Amino acid sequence: MDDLIAARSTMAFSLGFHIIFASIGMTMPFFMSAAHWLWLKKKKPMHLELTKMWMRGVAILFAVGAVSGTVISFQLGLLWPGFMKHAGPIIGMPFSWEGSAFFLEAVAIGAFLYGWKHMKPWLHWTTGLVVGIAGFMSGIFVVAANGWMNTPAGFDWAEGVASNIDPWAAMFNKAWLHQTIHMQLAALQAVGFGVAGIHAALYMRGKARDLHLLAMKIALTFGAVASLLMPVSGHLAGQRIAEYQPAKLAAAEGHFKTSANAPLVIGGIPDVDAQTMRYAIKIPGGLSFLVHNDTGAEVIGLDRFPREDWPPVVITHVSFQIMVVIGGILALMAVLYFVFLKRNRWPRWFMKALVICTPLGIIAIEAGWVVTEVGRQPWIVQGILRTKDTVTPVPGMQYHFYLFLVLYTILAIATLWLFKRQIQGVEKKFAIADEPSAEKPQPKE
Amino acid sequence: MTHILIFFIGASLLLYVVLGGSDYGAGILELLPMRPGRLREAQKHTISHAMGPVWEANHVWLIIIIVILFMGFPYVFTTLMTSLHAPLLALLVGIVVRGATFSFRYYDAVWDEKSQRVYTALFGASSLWTAMWLGIIAGALNRGTIIAPGALPPAGTGAWHAYILPWLDLYPFCVGVFVVCIFAFLASVYLVGETKDPGLGKLFTQRAAVFNMLTVIAGGLVFLASLLETKSLFAAFLERPLAIAPIVIATLLFVALWKFIQFHNTVFARVIAAGQVTMILLGWWLLYAPNALITTGGPVSFYEAAAPSATQLQLMLALLIGSCIIFPSLIFLLRVFKANARAK
Repeated sequence: MDDLIAARSTMAFSLGFHIIFASIGMTMPFFMSAAHWLWLKKKKPMHLELTKMWMRGVAILFAVGAVSGTVISFQLGLLWPGFMKHAGPIIGMPFSWEGSAFFLEAVAIGAFLYGWKHMKPWLHWTTGLVVGIAGFMSGIFVVAANGWMNTPAGFDWAEGVASNIDPWAAMFNKAWLHQTIHMQLAALQAVGFGVAGIHAALYMRGKARDLHLLAMKIALTFGAVASLLMPVSGHLAGQRIAEYQPAKLAAAEGHFKTSANAPLVIGGIPDVDAQTMRYAIKIPGGLSFLVHNDTGAEVIGLDRFPREDWPPVVITHVSFQIMVVIGGILALMAVLYFVFLKRNRWPRWFMKALVICTPLGIIAIEAGWVVTEVGRQPWIVQGILRTKDTVTPVPGMQYHFYLFLVLYTILAIATLWLFKRQIQGVEKKFAIADEPSAEKPQPKE
Repeated sequence: MTHILIFFIGASLLLYVVLGGSDYGAGILELLPMRPGRLREAQKHTISHAMGPVWEANHVWLIIIIVILFMGFPYVFTTLMTSLHAPLLALLVGIVVRGATFSFRYYDAVWDEKSQRVYTALFGASSLWTAMWLGIIAGALNRGTIIAPGALPPAGTGAWHAYILPWLDLYPFCVGVFVVCIFAFLASVYLVGETKDPGLGKLFTQRAAVFNMLTVIAGGLVFLASLLETKSLFAAFLERPLAIAPIVIATLLFVALWKFIQFHNTVFARVIAAGQVTMILLGWWLLYAPNALITTGGPVSFYEAAAPSATQLQLMLALLIGSCIIFPSLIFLLRVFKANARAK
């Protein structure tokens, strides 16, 4: 494994790991606050139980998210010193805001987790909500910084030196808005469906059905609303990418030759050497219509770029397809959810389908990040800096990669194991609580 | 403007060492052999509850230092990240294991003996490990062995010389030991005030005494080890006599500290322990100011390494506005938990 590939793999793995926990950390506190709100309003023991159950989940996942985020702030420099040297002064600002947001989040989570007996109930509820708000803000700052890598702004570039730096223009670059909307919705969608799927599975096991149904409804309401907005945000992002990063769009769509009346490619494997798509369904004019609102319009293909500036086409295209397909499935599930919610009937097949959907949102997030990061290659800053020119000169990067591969794999297994124990703990409790006598309100903790 | 950024680095470092350092120290204390039983459980309980609400906030100071460095002083940041890649990597592994095991220990839904023992052992070991590496990194900054980015060897040659030798030596190792001792000392002084259990209070007081002594010994070792360096600390301090004052004050404060601990005045004991750390960091700064680090190509001053002024201005504003969020929220957190502790 050469050092560049090792460094890229490390970064991909590290970000891919962190993004799961970051997504959960910035959305699940909202679910928790919703359950907590119900408890404060209606005082059913089930509401408190659910709040605490989710709280324990948030506590564990937040800790993993915090430490894996710390790792990334170091790895940006450890792996890409040539990037940080230039990017730090230009795009450091959102990170400095993110520092404050993260601090607020850390304080709020400390106050919420340990503050049950220490604060007035509604103040305590507010600290839980602040965890979510601060986390959500952190997410926006970080994604805005990533937007800058896709559409660099706020500086002049001459002979490898940046001058006239304007951090505000850098932060509010052309990609920041559509990327943050897309990411934040994706997080709500993925975590909403993920949490709902787990509770649907527990619901079908038959214990504490009321609790799991309520949990599923809260999570899925967030997830379903996000899923319905997702196609709009995806379409917006696609049009922007076509404008600012045509090579990325061409790779994602497997669009080799610049052409008018460009077809929308569904499925298929790109054959890069033959510059054609194999086994794909093509909708004539579809891509032109999506990108330019006109079936006859010309869409730039990969042929407009020198071969060495092409992103890896197969990876980008396949990831893009995975993301879009999952987006479609979840949007459909969202519609079904609202139908069943209105009827208040929960057929078994729908619950089973929800269970199957548990990991889909997370997979879509990972696929989406592959599209945006791999699709930008060979650039680390689009059109300005090449990834290979910014990698650290330190040798032996493969060991750095193996180290994190092992560490994060163990951590992921440990987290899953803890969740299993969490669920067992809840079921044990409800094995007794399901009996009618336990319906009496319990003293408030 | 650069002054203010340097001040923020210093203040964040101080808060990280005092607050985060106590958390590391708590892990180190749990690593010390103890007979299983009530006292050990009480120690674990006290540490879990003293650290639980605050450790994540305390950890953020480190991230703030990193952000100030990479935005405001990119040259310093990239030089460190390149030359000290290996120890920083070791540090990261420690941070990950430590944060994960600490929260797993408290939030695991099933409290069985075996997994709790594993969490505690890993939490303790990673606290020691991370503190050690923090010290090694701090010790490596000003030895004059960090290779300036322009002078790095071509790929495939001289890796040992460029990336390992700058930190692999007796002196950084001694600084590591010193940091471990001072963290454990800070934790002991802090935890005395966090428990109502007289047995545990006595234990923490004893530990504070032991680590106080060890800190002084380790400090002496740092000075001795520096004799093997290109420039010893003795020579460095003689060149900058002003830097001697805070170190002398820090040492003298130990006497006052003992009076307060004996009279169970935990607030003053904490203030003095924090004051000692402030003095040590101040002495360190005065010894090398205005340099961030010393490379083979000579010292790198914060002023030379600073980012363009537009960036510095935005960073400064972000930090000032951020402080308006950070400090009130921190005070809120402390008030909530301290008010309650008093009510108990």
